[in-house]
Amino acid sequence: MAEPRHDKLFYYTLLPFASTSLAIVLLLASILAVNSLPAIERYGLSLLTRNVWSPVELDPEASDYGLLAPLLGTLVTATIATMASIPIAASLVYVSEEVLPARMLRVRSAISILVDVMAGMPTIVYGLWGALVLAPLLLNYVYQPLNKYFGFIPLFACSPYTGLNILTASLLLSIMITPFVFAVVRESYTQIPLSYREASLSLGTTKYEHFRIMLGIIKPSLIAGALLGFGRAASETVAVTLVVGNAFNLPYCLLSPGYTVSALIANQFNNAPLYPYMESVLLFSGAILLLLGLVSNLAGLIMLSRVKARV
Amino acid sequence: MYRLRRLKSQLFTALSIAVAILVFATIAHILLSVAVNGVGVIASAGIDFFVKPPPPPGAGLEGGIGPALAGTIILVALSAVLGVPLAVLTAVFLAEFPHSRFSRLVKLFTNSLLEIPTVLVGMLVYVTLVTSTGSYSILAGAVALSIVLLPYTSTYVERALEMVPATYKEAGYSIGLKKAQVVWYVTSRIARRGIAAGILIGLAKAAGETAPLLFTLGGALYSYPTSPASLLEPGNAIPLLIFTLTLAPYENWHSVAWGAALILTLMVLGLIIAVRLVVREVKV
Repeated sequence: MAEPRHDKLFYYTLLPFASTSLAIVLLLASILAVNSLPAIERYGLSLLTRNVWSPVELDPEASDYGLLAPLLGTLVTATIATMASIPIAASLVYVSEEVLPARMLRVRSAISILVDVMAGMPTIVYGLWGALVLAPLLLNYVYQPLNKYFGFIPLFACSPYTGLNILTASLLLSIMITPFVFAVVRESYTQIPLSYREASLSLGTTKYEHFRIMLGIIKPSLIAGALLGFGRAASETVAVTLVVGNAFNLPYCLLSPGYTVSALIANQFNNAPLYPYMESVLLFSGAILLLLGLVSNLAGLIMLSRVKARV
Repeated sequence: MYRLRRLKSQLFTALSIAVAILVFATIAHILLSVAVNGVGVIASAGIDFFVKPPPPPGAGLEGGIGPALAGTIILVALSAVLGVPLAVLTAVFLAEFPHSRFSRLVKLFTNSLLEIPTVLVGMLVYVTLVTSTGSYSILAGAVALSIVLLPYTSTYVERALEMVPATYKEAGYSIGLKKAQVVWYVTSRIARRGIAAGILIGLAKAAGETAPLLFTLGGALYSYPTSPASLLEPGNAIPLLIFTLTLAPYENWHSVAWGAALILTLMVLGLIIAVRLVVREVKV
């Protein structure tokens, strides 16, 4: 298509500004890659497979790092959070789209406003509430009984001391990502064509059966919601740092304090210049976080495009 | 048989309603905790809460969030100055040249920027800006926040520009306006509310973010930004202050954190409500 010259000029004037986001992402990726090279050369694959954190000032030989605990911590907390948020989000969609009659528009819009509030609230507020309210509450009413009566299950075998642990982080994350998962699922749900709905209802289905059939139609969007939620949970930083306990324990027991990659970065990066290799190790863990986030989001977006093809 | 199916359905409905109530009870609990604890602290510190620095650790509530409040206002304004023009121009590019190959690339990268963990943005600005200037600074914090703001604002503004009906633009072309002139005189005027909403959403994000500030702003607890030169010195912001105060083991700092959280929540929710008002009027 031949465009007039002045439009070409407009295009090339905007081009440098539009390239900023591209430049930022590429710069970030290359900085993470280049700066994590020293750590990779020094420690190799053992960075991923060992659980060590012993920085020694001014002594590169003695300093030793392995990221296994934070890596597993991130995977475990984000997975539990995602698994919890999917049924919660599905229940919310069911209530707002099927249970509430269409004339209760006010209640529906109240739900959507509350979900907006949940999604828009600064994450630090969740962190503050999680550390000062949720953690003590869970410690007294859930963790101690859980440990007392179900202590024979390895996941609950360690005695809880503070309430700041892997499980608290997972639960807080599940609250934080629910609005995003809900938004993804509901958007697809409302786009299901009327003819499909009528077809399902004409079979004499109950509300529950109807909902199951409708969810079956938009199944990729449930998976997309899970992937996008997982990405968010894995990349969440400050709220997790405040509740996860920040200790290098492998997450065998959910009631012991642990670490996540983002919490490790938040806690250690400011001191990193003091210790040999630490900055490089942390930038390497940042690269993993970036990869994890980008892959889960890309997969989520691909899933969403599949839903669009279906409905 | 039908009775069983109906029972199952009713059970599922009851369970779902219970879950929904639990979710909204949780969010209500969070908001109420912030409101009750926050109001208590602010009431006991009075006007000092907005102007004085935090009290010394473990020593009562005679103080507040003055430096952080000032810092947040400066940071949000500065990150808007840096980020909003870039975001709007990106959005214009994406909306006006949607079929060029480069614009698909820009869109992909804007979307990924939206999902990048914000703590990495802090690392990026630390490695590039903080190490080269040799100090944490308000400017570095603002640069990090403008990177956070950019993809949100550009996505919303792009959507607003795309929603302008083609007939209006064609009317512009038909009287001989160039593309740039149509954007300036027609599209942006019709989409102005959507553009405003996009900018407000970006500001809300910038005001509430903590992670990008961890390695850029410096978290100065007691010093105020007094002159333009302060932009190159460490500062503080409300979210970062809450993080510092909550991690510390002092009761009185936790109380101040609640008060700060109330102010922050009001600011961010105020912006979100403003967006809703602006956008609703567009639809009518």
